[in-house]
Amino acid sequence: MADEARKKEILEKLRNGVIQYDEDACREGANEAVAEGLDANEAIFDGLVSGMEEVGRLFEAQEYFVPEILMCADALYAGLEILKPHCQQMDLGVKGSVVIGTVEGDVHDIGKNLVKMMFDVAGFTVYDLGRDVPLDKFVEEQLRTDSELVCLSAMMTTSMVGMPKVIEKIKAKNPDCMIMIGGAPTSKELADKWGADGYAEDASNALKEAIKMVAFLKKLRDEKMKK
Amino acid sequence: MNADPLKQLLRAEGATLVGVGDVTKALSKEISHLNRGIAIAVNRSLRRETVELLIRLQGLAEGWLRAKGHRSLSIPPDSDRRQDKMITKLYKLFCHKTAATCAGLGWIGKNGLIINEQYGSKMTWATVLTDAPLRADQPYVKSLCGDCDLCVAHCPSGALKGHLWSLGNPLREIVSYDKCRTLKSGRTSLKEKPNCGFCVTVCPYSRQGTRENSKSSQFVKPAVS
Repeated sequence: MADEARKKEILEKLRNGVIQYDEDACREGANEAVAEGLDANEAIFDGLVSGMEEVGRLFEAQEYFVPEILMCADALYAGLEILKPHCQQMDLGVKGSVVIGTVEGDVHDIGKNLVKMMFDVAGFTVYDLGRDVPLDKFVEEQLRTDSELVCLSAMMTTSMVGMPKVIEKIKAKNPDCMIMIGGAPTSKELADKWGADGYAEDASNALKEAIKMVAFLKKLRDEKMKK
Repeated sequence: MNADPLKQLLRAEGATLVGVGDVTKALSKEISHLNRGIAIAVNRSLRRETVELLIRLQGLAEGWLRAKGHRSLSIPPDSDRRQDKMITKLYKLFCHKTAATCAGLGWIGKNGLIINEQYGSKMTWATVLTDAPLRADQPYVKSLCGDCDLCVAHCPSGALKGHLWSLGNPLREIVSYDKCRTLKSGRTSLKEKPNCGFCVTVCPYSRQGTRENSKSSQFVKPAVS
């Protein structure tokens, strides 16, 4: 195990790599963390995620815009890819699997990918159906994987109208399955009306929510560590 | 803000053409703050080295802008887009043709490609978007193809409709891309883009200064109205 100063240095490298959207730095930091026996979960949460939290702050302060966010997310993934195989499943009381995808007709899936990142970081098993997914595929995949969570995203009103059918079908078979909807045309009212359990309005909103949720996970983890 | 030093830098490093366009009207919400498009073209065929050169030039432009405290987003050449990255999603929100026409480096020909008066359609393009208030060049607002319709006549798929492009009429379909693709589906040797390239080579602007051009007088540069 590396000494404290070295550990801090590696975590700082991961954090700054994300903030400065430097994929190479993230990869380098992740490789160093693995080589020097740093706990992978720690490297993810105190390095990469801590960087993403700062990115969220910069976004709110309008210092960063959507392009920067996506480049930061790419940097985070570059590190995550290396660290993930060395992770032990964390027991945070929330774990499981999620089915995620963009509803048919839609190709604009930035928000979906940001939400997916949050699940990836949290150690969920993610079944990403990608974009332009026929509605029935969500139901099929949920049944096949018995996932606890299904996330549907749509950008256009025309592709959104199919959402209630999917929600109904899944809920009929698995009342316990949570369903989240997202995308510009969705709203809290619609989510309630259709029986969805949560919603995110757009990519930036999804990002904020995703970062909030990851920050919350991080807090949970920190509290658990103290005990 | 004077863009000349940047243009000189990029030309010295291998760019054939560099221009700055005001692209405000072509931007979607995600990138609306980046209202200058720096169009960079290299007069070489599309090979690995061409793409690498363009990416290096984009890096230089980004560095130049960053040193002056400005944001930028590079839209790489079409053939260098990694599908597994999140940032790739933004690339399709902006197309090189917009930057090139706005920067006054060419118009969109009847072949649906950028035509530059000196180099025709043989160029490979890349764009750097930025929020730096660079002085914009004079844009092209209409086609200079005139009556010439060699590309339309030579297109083996009948995909070119022969319409003249103008900035004010962006929805007019110049190329039927479905028809253009039919040729590719029938030829397994064409793996990359669905282009057979006839519309490039047949264009009188593309043939200027080439050996074929000096030998043959068959292709005459169209009169500009």
